[in-house]
Order: sequence, then C-alpha cells, then structure tokens
Amino acid sequence: MYTRKNQRDLTRTEKRRLVDAILKLKRSGRYDDFVVMHREYYVMDTERRPRPAHMTSSFFPWHRQYLLEFEKALQRVDAGVSVPYWDWTQDDRPTSSLWAEDFLGGNGRQGDRRVTTGAFAYEAGNWSVGRGVTDEHYLTRNFGRPGRDPVSLPTKNDVARALKDPVYDTEPWNSVCTEGFRNRIEGWGIRGVRTVGLHNRVHQWVGGPMAGAASPEDPVFWLHHSYIDLLWDRWRKAHPKSAYLPGRKPASPGPDRDYVFGLDDAMPPWSVTPRKLLDHGKTYRYA
Amino acid sequence: MSPTPAKPGGTRIPSRRTVLRGAFTAAVVTGTAGALLPLLDHERAAAARPAPAPEAPAPGPGSTTEEFAEMYRGREIRGTATVVVPAGARDDDRVMVAAEPGSEIRIDGRPLHVMRRADGTYLSDVRHYESYPTLLETARAAVDELGAAGLAHPAAHRM
Repeated sequence: MYTRKNQRDLTRTEKRRLVDAILKLKRSGRYDDFVVMHREYYVMDTERRPRPAHMTSSFFPWHRQYLLEFEKALQRVDAGVSVPYWDWTQDDRPTSSLWAEDFLGGNGRQGDRRVTTGAFAYEAGNWSVGRGVTDEHYLTRNFGRPGRDPVSLPTKNDVARALKDPVYDTEPWNSVCTEGFRNRIEGWGIRGVRTVGLHNRVHQWVGGPMAGAASPEDPVFWLHHSYIDLLWDRWRKAHPKSAYLPGRKPASPGPDRDYVFGLDDAMPPWSVTPRKLLDHGKTYRYA
Repeated sequence: MSPTPAKPGGTRIPSRRTVLRGAFTAAVVTGTAGALLPLLDHERAAAARPAPAPEAPAPGPGSTTEEFAEMYRGREIRGTATVVVPAGARDDDRVMVAAEPGSEIRIDGRPLHVMRRADGTYLSDVRHYESYPTLLETARAAVDELGAAGLAHPAAHRM
C-alpha cells in the first residue's frame, strides 16, 4: 500500500527520485514501450474492433491499469516512488512548481516550442521524443495554444458538473455520448452540445506530444492521468449506488457492445476486467 | 494502426510536380463540410444516442467529397476524401468503408495519419484529442499544432 500525492506537496527529494526513476526507465527502453502501447490501444470508435482505452466505457479502468503498470515499472527502479497527480484546476499556471527546473521543466520556448529547462529538456541529454508523429527529437510544449484557437484549462466548476452525473456511461458507449460521467470527463467535443473538455482539453493545453498520438512522451501524461483516476474515485464516492456500465452482455446489446468492455470483460493487454479495478484501496490511496 | 495509405489515382488533384510550391494559395474544395457526414451515422441513427443531425445528404458512391491544396502558414497542405462505396453496396459494406474512409492529408508532401470519429469528424496523429468536420480544418489544425516541426518521415511510423 502506497500513497499518490498531489504533485504540489512533493518534497524536493521526492521530485528528484521520481525524475531519476523516469529517466532510468527511459534509458532502459521500457518507457518507450509504454508510449507505443498507448498508441496501439487508442482505437477509434469507427473501427470494427475492440477499443479498450479511448472513446469507450473502459477509459477509466484501462488507464488505471496502465498507470499501475507504469508505476510498477518505476518501483522496480526505486521502490519508494509513486505517480503523483496534477490537479489542473488548482495548479493552472505556467509558473506552477510542476513546471519548475527541479521537476518537469517548463513551457516550450518561442519559435520551435522546445522545452529548455529541467531534466526532460533535450539538451540535458536524457530525453528524446519522436515515436513516429513528428520529425523532431526534442520535447515540445505550447501551453494554452496561443494564437488562432487558444485553450484554457478546465475549471473546478467543469469538474463539479461532470461529477454530478449519476450515470457512469450510456449507449452507444463511444465518443458521441452526450451524457454519462465517462464521456463528460474524457471530454470529446460534440457538435451543438459542448466543446472539447476536461481530459481531452488538458492534453490540448499542454501541447506538443501531449496533444498527439504519442502523448505519454511527455511525462506530465502520468500526472494528468493520476488526477483523472482520482476523479473516478470521487465520482464513485459521490454515487455509491451507481454501477460501472455496461454490465452483463445480454442487458445492453447496442451496436457498439461487441467492441466495448463491460464489467466482466477482460481488457487487453493484461486480461484484467473493469470489476477488478473498481477498488484500488489495497494497492494505493490518494492523499 | 498503420498510416493511411496513398490512394491510387482517381483524385482530381494535380500531381505534386505540377504544383509550384508557394505559387498557389487558392483552396480547391469540392463539396461542403455538411457533405462529409458519415455513412455510419445512418446505421446507428436508430439505436445510438444521436449525434447532431446531418446538414446535408451523404455523398454518392465514388464521389470525391473534399479536395484541397493550399499554402497555410508556410506549409503546403493537400487533402482528399473520397467515398469509395461501389454502387449497390450492402449496408454492411458501407459501415466498413465508413470505418476506413478514403481520406488523405499531406503536409509538405508527408502523409498525416487521419482517423474518424463516430460522428464523422476527423482527427489526426498530430492533434489527437480534438476533431474537425472537414479534412481542411484537420490539416490546418495539424499545422498549428506542429509549429516548426515537420511530420515524421513515413518510414518512421511505427504503427
């Protein structure tokens, strides 16, 4: 049993140990395996095959297990680390300690958007990106996407509104569900209903790899998803009688049902069911 | 996932060689944003929680629904979306096609991997958490997101 802390409460030593563990994972090649895995399981809701990670009901449990696997890999390097969370409703400034020299480094510079501070700056010699999306190898960020179509981070009110929805997910269990906690948090824009929100919006706000198909290339990915995972806990606590949906197969035979993962359907690549992931109290807790 | 393959012929875009880079600015767009609504929505309309309704009828089989070539922020963007459903195709085939549409975007000659959501909007490898009703908007958004970077060389695509 270990604790996932708010990143703003980490000590200097905790930050250093986490950064060091991530860099070691990168050097071993394991980190990039996680990047590739995320890309592999990010299946669109127009594809006629199972989609465990995005545009789907199992968005929360799939990422919970994905984070657990990443955390296990980190802990093999340093048993004392865990994945902290970034509450972007609170730490919503480019000057947050999250982006400081001693942690994740800051925004990209003008022009090429290259991150030049912290351990993940290309010049520091320990971090390169480029898993097939762009031709550059330095980490980039573009906070708030200034210019033609800027984005802001979601607010506490945005989170509160999503948490109020008492239904976990609705048919057709994809990216165009207008109701249900899952897609409110996942945050797909739906024409005429709402714009891009919450989870998706944070990916956009950071920019660089975070906005693209290789989003875990920026280590902030893990802190963002740790917070998303915490929001699932908060929703369950707020709605103790609400179940994970879809439930048993015959109960909801909608057109997408074959490609989404119900409560007892084993999710690839780990063959773990959403049911097994509902309660993580024996493994970790949030502080 | 694999990069969207290049389409063999059949489009109305002139060969790249005939286009002087930087010498053209006009977009060639056939069809409208509204014409890009997915065949899939028709399939799902009854059972699915509906996405906002189509504004125009779905294009006929074999037609190019969108085609453009322009300079945008100093980058050459080109795209084409073709409906390749043969006449008389069964509904089931149409779903297949909707899932793998004949859509292609190139930025400075390099292919941008494009996907489609259930509401028919497009997203790309570069901007992966937001989607757009047209390929042109998808291409421009990708250029915005790329900044100074170029797309990866096709051989660098891992999946």
